[in-house]
Amino acid sequence: MGVLVDHRSFVIERELPGSPAHAFRFWSDHQLKRRWNACHPDWRVVEDRFDFRVDGQESLVWQMPDGTRQTMLAHFLEIHPRQRIVYAYTMRTDGVPISSSLVTVEFNGGGGKTMMTFTEQAVFGSGAYGDIREQGTGVGFTRLQEAVAELLEEPRQTMTPGGRG
Amino acid sequence: MTATDSLDCLFQVMADPYRRSFVERLCKGPASVKELAGTADVQLPAVLKHLNILETGGIVVSQKVGRVRTYRMRQDAFTILSDWIDIRQQDMNAAFDRLAELMAEVPEEKDH
Repeated sequence: MGVLVDHRSFVIERELPGSPAHAFRFWSDHQLKRRWNACHPDWRVVEDRFDFRVDGQESLVWQMPDGTRQTMLAHFLEIHPRQRIVYAYTMRTDGVPISSSLVTVEFNGGGGKTMMTFTEQAVFGSGAYGDIREQGTGVGFTRLQEAVAELLEEPRQTMTPGGRG
Repeated sequence: MTATDSLDCLFQVMADPYRRSFVERLCKGPASVKELAGTADVQLPAVLKHLNILETGGIVVSQKVGRVRTYRMRQDAFTILSDWIDIRQQDMNAAFDRLAELMAEVPEEKDH
């Protein structure tokens, strides 16, 4: 039914200095890509792989200051040098899938500049609520109920010190 | 409305056991008012009141066909948490700012 899954798309258009070939380098070269992409100063990089070819993978694993592990795993589906890159990627928090996306990056040149169009089509499913979709009432819903119960219980206890009536 | 406001609203809407039971039922599929009332030990006006709150709260939608009003879950009922995709979009914009700067700094290669 897709009740608890959200589909979202967004497009970002950018004029970049230099030719499409120049722009393409910054997407296809590991070192160059890392200089602008994935900037999290307080996250420690645990794993960093970049195999830029059709069916190659990119993976980045970070350890956040609180110990949480963030994973980005991408799979390159189409590579058309200087023109277009299509890749799928998924984000995981402590191994739980957060979102999966299809991304298309297009490069159009003219007058020494490049118009880059970045299109992301994402499917977002909450780890906490995702179970509901298949089970009707799953673990996720129990968690929501518990969260609601906790929220309600605290003020109630302060208002009626005698506890539940 | 911020993500936190939406979440507060969602929790308020879901803070009632009857409303939670209706949502549990509707997660399994659409149901008529009569079917929903049959599972609850409250009078019909109270059932309608709770369903109205759920609808106003963006959790369910209803449709009337003939004399039967049917409720179902909204596709985006619990997706307010996905607001962080907006944050990702902001992150990408910031990344592209860095990309544009870097492209201007690094000279073009000549071999193409």
